[in-house]
Amino acid sequence: MRISTLQLFDTGAARIGDVQSALAKTQQQIATGRKMLSPSDDPVAASRALEVAQTQSINQQYAANRVQVKNSLGQVDGTLASVSDTLLGIRDALVSVGNPGLTDNERGFIATELSSRFQALLGLANTRDAQGNYLFSGFQSNTVPFVETPAGATYQGDSGQQLVQVDSTRRMAVSDTGQNIFQGGGQDVFQTIKDMVTLLQTPVVTPANRAALSAGTATGLADIDKAINAVLTTRASVGTRMQEIDSLDDAGATRDVQYKAILSEIQDLDYTEALTRQSRQQLTLEAAQQSFVKMASLSLFNFLR
Amino acid sequence: MATNILSIGQSALTAAQVGINTTGHNIANASTPGYNRQVVIQGAALAQNFGFGFLGQGTEISTVQRVYSEHLATQVQTAQSGKSGLESYYAQIRQINDMLADPTAGVSPALQGFFASVQNLSNNPASVPARQSVISTADALAARVQGMDSRLAEIEQGINSQVVSSVAVINTYAQQIATLNDAIGKALRSTGQPPNDLLDQRDQLVLELNKEVKATVVKQGDGDYNVFVGNGQPLVVGARTSPLVAVASPTNSQRVEVGYLASNGSLVIVGDNGFVGGKLGGLLQFRSETLTATQNALGRVAIGLATTFNTQHQAGFDLAGAAGGAFFNQGGPFIGANSGNTGTATLGASITNVGALTTSDYHLSYDGSNYTVTRLSDNTASTYASLPQTVDGVQISLASGIPAAGDYFLIRPTAKGATGFSVALTDPADIAAASAPGAVGNNTNALALAALQTANTLAGGSVTYQGAYGQMVSQVGNKTRELEVTSAAATNLLEQSTVAMQSESGVNLDEEATNLLRYQQAYQAAAKLMQIAQDMFNALLTIGR
Repeated sequence: MRISTLQLFDTGAARIGDVQSALAKTQQQIATGRKMLSPSDDPVAASRALEVAQTQSINQQYAANRVQVKNSLGQVDGTLASVSDTLLGIRDALVSVGNPGLTDNERGFIATELSSRFQALLGLANTRDAQGNYLFSGFQSNTVPFVETPAGATYQGDSGQQLVQVDSTRRMAVSDTGQNIFQGGGQDVFQTIKDMVTLLQTPVVTPANRAALSAGTATGLADIDKAINAVLTTRASVGTRMQEIDSLDDAGATRDVQYKAILSEIQDLDYTEALTRQSRQQLTLEAAQQSFVKMASLSLFNFLR
Repeated sequence: MATNILSIGQSALTAAQVGINTTGHNIANASTPGYNRQVVIQGAALAQNFGFGFLGQGTEISTVQRVYSEHLATQVQTAQSGKSGLESYYAQIRQINDMLADPTAGVSPALQGFFASVQNLSNNPASVPARQSVISTADALAARVQGMDSRLAEIEQGINSQVVSSVAVINTYAQQIATLNDAIGKALRSTGQPPNDLLDQRDQLVLELNKEVKATVVKQGDGDYNVFVGNGQPLVVGARTSPLVAVASPTNSQRVEVGYLASNGSLVIVGDNGFVGGKLGGLLQFRSETLTATQNALGRVAIGLATTFNTQHQAGFDLAGAAGGAFFNQGGPFIGANSGNTGTATLGASITNVGALTTSDYHLSYDGSNYTVTRLSDNTASTYASLPQTVDGVQISLASGIPAAGDYFLIRPTAKGATGFSVALTDPADIAAASAPGAVGNNTNALALAALQTANTLAGGSVTYQGAYGQMVSQVGNKTRELEVTSAAATNLLEQSTVAMQSESGVNLDEEATNLLRYQQAYQAAAKLMQIAQDMFNALLTIGR
């Protein structure tokens, strides 16, 4: 075939240009560590990467949510532990009332102890979290849940329970309302304590007085036991939730590793392959350049002297 | 006899000179674009009968011809317009592809950041910093969407100016071809010989023209080239040209379209699909196929997010216990009335169902009794006797006036969705996180807002916001990849047809070197012949001495 001289140069330059641009692309991949430099390199993988990145980001957000839930539940659990200690103290005091040798005066001391325990309990029921929100007032998180009254305490919160998204399909309650814990099942622990204080402050003179004292103490003890049970039930529920958070954390961490692996598979460069490719392309480029120079220097005019 | 030998020698000398001249011309133009090598067509002169037989009278040059194949040249022109079209499309789409390339700079991470802050809000509904963060991340998202939208608008503007300059270049080439038609015709008529270099110039202009737009040449009997572009629109007829014009679109002043002046003087718009190939064809095809769809897809994500988020937000209550307002602002549908409409009608359009929105534009025309709405992405048409009508989630109504037969409108439901996408709230307390008034710890509505991130709200309930955005990215990526492959193939095709043409018509310097030697020797031989004739004449003269 006839070959025109112009074509000889054009084709040579075009081939060298092709190899150069392939080499430049490999270089860019190596410099960025990315296999996919733009969506056109692999359109399906590009949109898949966006999807996986979103799923991964949501998964990480759930993990952050769980940290928050764990902190809140930890605080609830700690508070409830103190509540239960306080209630046990009240119970011990009530048990000691059963001693027939106690004087009115000594019962008065116990009444004073109960009053101070009442304040402690009220303080615990009105605990705030780090942000200053009340733990036990439902959705009314900026309203003091319990306000003391002569007969006990009234609940000012509501029955709302704050839920947090801890996994794609799981919303978990982080709070329990004060009403459930302290005044649940028709049994108001604040009223019980106030009643007991009143009872212990009543002087025992007649046998009827003594009978009323022993009956009242028995009722009080039973009510305190119910309250302790209510608190323990809530703590058990909080503990179960904390355990669930732990297992969700494990599952979430496993998923995170998987998403990272998928993203890496889609986006990241195989350096061994890329570096091998780069040396091969360099070799091709050098060969193309050298052969072009040799071919271009062949001209009949070189021999016409 | 000696005189005859002398004149034979002279004819040989002339022929050798013409040969060296032509070879020199070939060597000089070895790198001239569009040059076709020239050859001397030489024949033996008519012999003379001397009784004892016919005696040769030397040589004679009939013409100097260029080696040119019309068939191969047409192949190169076609391949050139194909390649230029794909390359100009590719150069445009690459801008979008590159814009979407960086995974950390796209809309996607901003969308994720926004919803992460909504989740944080649901964890701390009363927290002012958490609320502020929702507004800040929403602002960042809106800025990202608007930034991408304005980049697309820049590309649209860029196309307008490129269309204008391409049309100017086409008209210049047309004028030059017409001038050459005239000059070539005159040369042919006056000499009867082909003006090779003028012919080369004209063919090169046709090739250059094909870089701008696909042009078909019909060669006339008198040697003129008549050139047609688009849908058979004559650009050059003989020495006359009918120039193309670039004008603002009658339905969308943002866009420049290409048309021509009809014989009655009225302007005829050719439409984006009317021109194929060449830079102009590639630009127009990119605009109608990819740019419009990308603008609309981005707008759809913005409108979808704004509408569904607002609906949920308005179902809740803010910190002060008041019902939630609109969280996002969004851009409404664009309606462009044809500037040549003779009726008084103005149209209204509103989005009634974001789930049904497509990424297409629509064309509405009125024929005097019926309205026809055409979805431009697939040319699906529906005919209605009256308005309002709802098409793909958009309610189209007659806002005022009466249309006349022949009136038409362009409706772009989501094109401005991203342009008008912004955050309506400024006060963190206005975020409606609660499902009931007066409970600051109530996070129920915030949870519902956060859940929208993974809800399939768009494209008939099949994809999330992120999914719809991902579709857009993948469509641009796919088309770019397709163009990478097809434009590489077109480049190969052009190269092959150029090689085929060049192997016929191109200059090979080694060949010219051979010719140079050949004509040099012929020249020396002719000179020798003349010297011999001289010697013979001298011999005769010495006889008489």
